[in-house]
Amino acid sequence: MALRLGREAAGARPRAETVRWSRRTPVLMILPAVVVLAAITLFPLLFTLRLTVLSWELTTGFPPQFIGVQNFVRVLTQDPRFWNAMANTGVLVAVGVGLQAVIGTGLALELNRLRRGRALVLSLLLIPVMIAPVIAGFQFRMILNDQYGPLNYLLDALTFGRVRGFAWLADPRVALGAVMATDVWQWAPFMTLVVLAGLQSLPGELLEAAEVDGATGLQALRRVTLPLLLPVIVIGVLVRVMDTFKLFDIVYQLTGGGPGNVTETIAYYTYLQGFKFFSLGYTAAMSFVQLVVITIVAQVFLHYQKRVRGGAVA
Amino acid sequence: MRRRSPARRLVTGLVLLAALVFFLFPVLWMVLTSFKSNPEFFAYPPVFIPKSFALTNYLNAMRLPPDGRGGLQGVRDSLIVSTGSMVISLLAGAPAAYSFARFRTGGENLSFWVLSTRMFPPVASALPLFLVFKSLHLLDTHWALIVANTIFNLPFVIWLLKGFFEDLPAELEEAAVIDGTTIFGAFRRVALPLVAPGLVATALFCFIFTWNEFMFALLLTRSDVRTLTIIVPSLVGGHEILWGQVAAVGVVAIIPNILLALLLQRFLVRGLTLGAVKG
Repeated sequence: MALRLGREAAGARPRAETVRWSRRTPVLMILPAVVVLAAITLFPLLFTLRLTVLSWELTTGFPPQFIGVQNFVRVLTQDPRFWNAMANTGVLVAVGVGLQAVIGTGLALELNRLRRGRALVLSLLLIPVMIAPVIAGFQFRMILNDQYGPLNYLLDALTFGRVRGFAWLADPRVALGAVMATDVWQWAPFMTLVVLAGLQSLPGELLEAAEVDGATGLQALRRVTLPLLLPVIVIGVLVRVMDTFKLFDIVYQLTGGGPGNVTETIAYYTYLQGFKFFSLGYTAAMSFVQLVVITIVAQVFLHYQKRVRGGAVA
Repeated sequence: MRRRSPARRLVTGLVLLAALVFFLFPVLWMVLTSFKSNPEFFAYPPVFIPKSFALTNYLNAMRLPPDGRGGLQGVRDSLIVSTGSMVISLLAGAPAAYSFARFRTGGENLSFWVLSTRMFPPVASALPLFLVFKSLHLLDTHWALIVANTIFNLPFVIWLLKGFFEDLPAELEEAAVIDGTTIFGAFRRVALPLVAPGLVATALFCFIFTWNEFMFALLLTRSDVRTLTIIVPSLVGGHEILWGQVAAVGVVAIIPNILLALLLQRFLVRGLTLGAVKG
């Protein structure tokens, strides 16, 4: 179909200039975008690559020095803080995105049962998804305030003083949980949206057939609905994995990486190295490691995207 | 449709009610806080409903220090940067999307490269951009943020619009070309009007992405340009935090988002999954 448009045009009007137009126009049409994208993405990429082999500490005033792969050696083998940040990010990705998927899918299944007002409820649930993460962080900073916040008050009042709240943002035992809660609050509705779209594209006959065959609600869910939804859930999860891997705004607004380093994510640590400690070469090496991880996940996403588009679901 | 027992329907109702309370309470709390006086914020037990719903905090927040413009400057800068990046991304992205959709220009690899630039960790591009903008004396300008945000908005526009164009039957454009229109004419006068709803949705998404963006705004600007996402955390960092006023800025900052959550509903799945799920 793609080339047909050009060929038919050429066949109908066999003038030379029409043929030339049809070959050149499509290229001219992508040119501005490709030039702009190359300038703003390839350039930083190459620049980053160049930086990775340099020792360039702005704070010392020494000129940049070539040090080969030493930055990578340091990142991967000598920097416990990098691995701490990786581990924190890993927890946020594994547990946080997992929770988003479970809560989101559960809500989508319930929402799908609703006969009236579904669109309204969904719109309201999606407000957290739409607002800026930094504003979400600000909201949770007020709610989690250990002295004046409503959460600790409600915990106290509803349990008649039997449950004591935490200093959520200052207690190392729960601070990462607080960051995760904010992210889950913000993005679980996104999973609801995605799964609901998948549910509504499922053929109704399948579920009816399962019911005729005597499947209980739970069996139908486990054996029919969830397997059919799986590709859509995977797409949603991959989008969230990529975003959560870059989590920065919420950490910045909520904890600043603290207490100690317990909520420091990889994006936040990279920011500190680059814009607080001004270790340019080292920051570039860390950025590059993240780029590799993201690229791998993105490839999986693209693979699934093709499958979902080509397949039956959504 | 199967019939549900009343008990099951009650469960559905209760679950969704609990979900609404959970997901809306933080937003509601910010709105309530934006009307509280400082003693009301620091009261225990916490004040849920403020005594007065006067707009004092909003008026003061718009005139915040350091330069007495505060919130108002945030609104202005967020608007300029979001609109600027949206316009550039659409102008460059829409023709490219059409070319990808109809002619597979550059093959699958080129279009996947475009999409993969969208996945770039912003912290990786922030440092090179910072150094370049510094040498061009573009730090702390609207242009710096417009360019930086376009890194993400342009691939988004291309990828999303490509999907909308692909959904369109090609016959109408073919007929127009046979009638003597150029390919660009077929794009502009036939295809573009037909994807108008998708185009508007894509534009609004771009606007919101930039409106919400934080890291570039933090790293590439200082005082001349301060978006709303910068103003809120900067006010929480200070010694004496005027929570009511910060909350007022926060409420102003989420008004467009809430409007768009309602307006964009048909396109939300598609926009937020980069077109992977069509809904």
